[in-house]
Amino acid sequence: MEFDKKSLLKLGKLARISISDDKLNNLSKDLNSILEFVDQLKEIKTDQVDPTSNALNQKLEVRDDKVDTKNSAEDILENAPEKEMDFFVVPKVIE
Amino acid sequence: MVAKMIEGWNLVIGIEIHAQVNSKSKLFSSSPTDFGSKPNSQVSLIDAAMPGMLPVINKFCIEQAVKSGIGLNAKINKKSIFDRKNYFYQDLPQGYQISQYKDPIVGEGFIEIETENGQKKIGVERLHLEQDAGKSLHDQDPNLTFVDLNRSGIALMEIVSKPDMSSPEEAVEYVRKVRSILRYLGTCDGNMEQGSLRADVNVSVNKPGNELGTRCEIKNLNSFKFIHAAIVYEAKRQIKLIEQGESVNQETRLFNTQSGETRSMRSKEDAHDYRYFPDPDLLPLTLDDDWIKGLQDTIPELPDQIKERFINEYSLSSYDANIIVSDKAISEYFEDVVKNRNPKLVTTWVTGELFSILNKKNLIIEDSPITAKQLGELVDNIENGKISNRQAKEVLEEMCESGKGALEIIDEKGLSQISDENEIESLVDNVLNSNPENVKKYKNGKDKLFGFFVGEAMKLSKGKANPKIVNDLIKKKLSQ
Repeated sequence: MEFDKKSLLKLGKLARISISDDKLNNLSKDLNSILEFVDQLKEIKTDQVDPTSNALNQKLEVRDDKVDTKNSAEDILENAPEKEMDFFVVPKVIE
Repeated sequence: MVAKMIEGWNLVIGIEIHAQVNSKSKLFSSSPTDFGSKPNSQVSLIDAAMPGMLPVINKFCIEQAVKSGIGLNAKINKKSIFDRKNYFYQDLPQGYQISQYKDPIVGEGFIEIETENGQKKIGVERLHLEQDAGKSLHDQDPNLTFVDLNRSGIALMEIVSKPDMSSPEEAVEYVRKVRSILRYLGTCDGNMEQGSLRADVNVSVNKPGNELGTRCEIKNLNSFKFIHAAIVYEAKRQIKLIEQGESVNQETRLFNTQSGETRSMRSKEDAHDYRYFPDPDLLPLTLDDDWIKGLQDTIPELPDQIKERFINEYSLSSYDANIIVSDKAISEYFEDVVKNRNPKLVTTWVTGELFSILNKKNLIIEDSPITAKQLGELVDNIENGKISNRQAKEVLEEMCESGKGALEIIDEKGLSQISDENEIESLVDNVLNSNPENVKKYKNGKDKLFGFFVGEAMKLSKGKANPKIVNDLIKKKLSQ
């Protein structure tokens, strides 16, 4: 898989990371070498194997439907940079 | 009008329903799910996505998803996987929503809906479990957005239909039916005003014989009225574009409930690229056959079955049965009243008079001022001839206002109907004797006067005489 600069910029945008032009070349090279390395996995025949989503040989743990209120609004807003009337406050988001 | 506007065009409609699981705590945390609580008072560190927090799934939510799947005649997948759907938004603290992508908990199914042309099967593509996001308020301040995370992490079932609906009416009927099934199952309360059930609607138009048109998705519709209006508006908009030689852009649109219009929210160019991948914090969910079988045994009678039973047991018409089974609370109310009573009379009083009172007062049946027991008492008094239908309406209104029982009101107002034949006969004789001219005219062929005699007799009894007996007696006497 080839990772061109356009894809890199798109990935940056999706991850909300700005990538300056002078870093573009090096980053692209690095990412490509990582991908090349991982590409070796393709050499293994997997057509008879179910896709693995997790390597642990365990079952999913479940819990009962019980309520346990851990925080008050004050607790959860304690670290919020901006808050008002028990809300988190962020710059206006328009869609 | 709608049909005329879209004449010559096919509509293709698919719907995603988001139904909140009726659980006390959230999907992956123990925070409460109560509606209308103080902002940010139901947020655990997991819901706020603090570093190092791990999700643990709520067993009850898994059960509700599977029960819903059974109710939708769908395949239950014994292995399903939770994935991360990645996007940035201020009401999504994790930066991703935990959802299910390629391997949902429930696969293909179907439901039956009533249409103008009879029953129609609508396919269900899948049902999966996912987290709800928080709530953003954009209208509190010109420069700021306010965020409440109480809803963040609440369990949703996303039910995706196949694009099998071809009119706004069918779309509404589909959502109604799914809502009704979930309410019967008790897996979702179906409260659309509070957002417990909302729909995203995909609409495209094409000319018969042509290939499918480009679709637009209208997000977050929370009433049947809006679903209908949004589809009508959107179909018209797309047809107009195509007729003007322009093309429809694939995009997500928002419905403005004030203006009844849809507007573009985001177009395909900056469409989200969610980069789904299996959530490393959660193992695959596996269900075994015995457990599924156990749940199957808890499935209550569902609307289609109850409808059939009502038709067989109480000889209801398909139309009446549909109205009654459309809502669990209505069918329970009806069954409470109908026990040992005349089904036809009960149907009339439930779907007619009671509904009109509820409509007038803008109440749902759960909040009916008349209990099933009270309505039953009223129906008894109609059935045994104590009061006429007309009097019963008066009594019912009084029951609503005063909360008193039917009998009490009948006694108080001295309403009880005269059904004694001798007493009525003397009334009738009185009327006929004091109108000899009219009796003569009637006998000479002026049939219309029959109503006059009945009216006079009723007047004489102050409306209390049993109208049927009055009719019979007058007929008898005049033919002598």
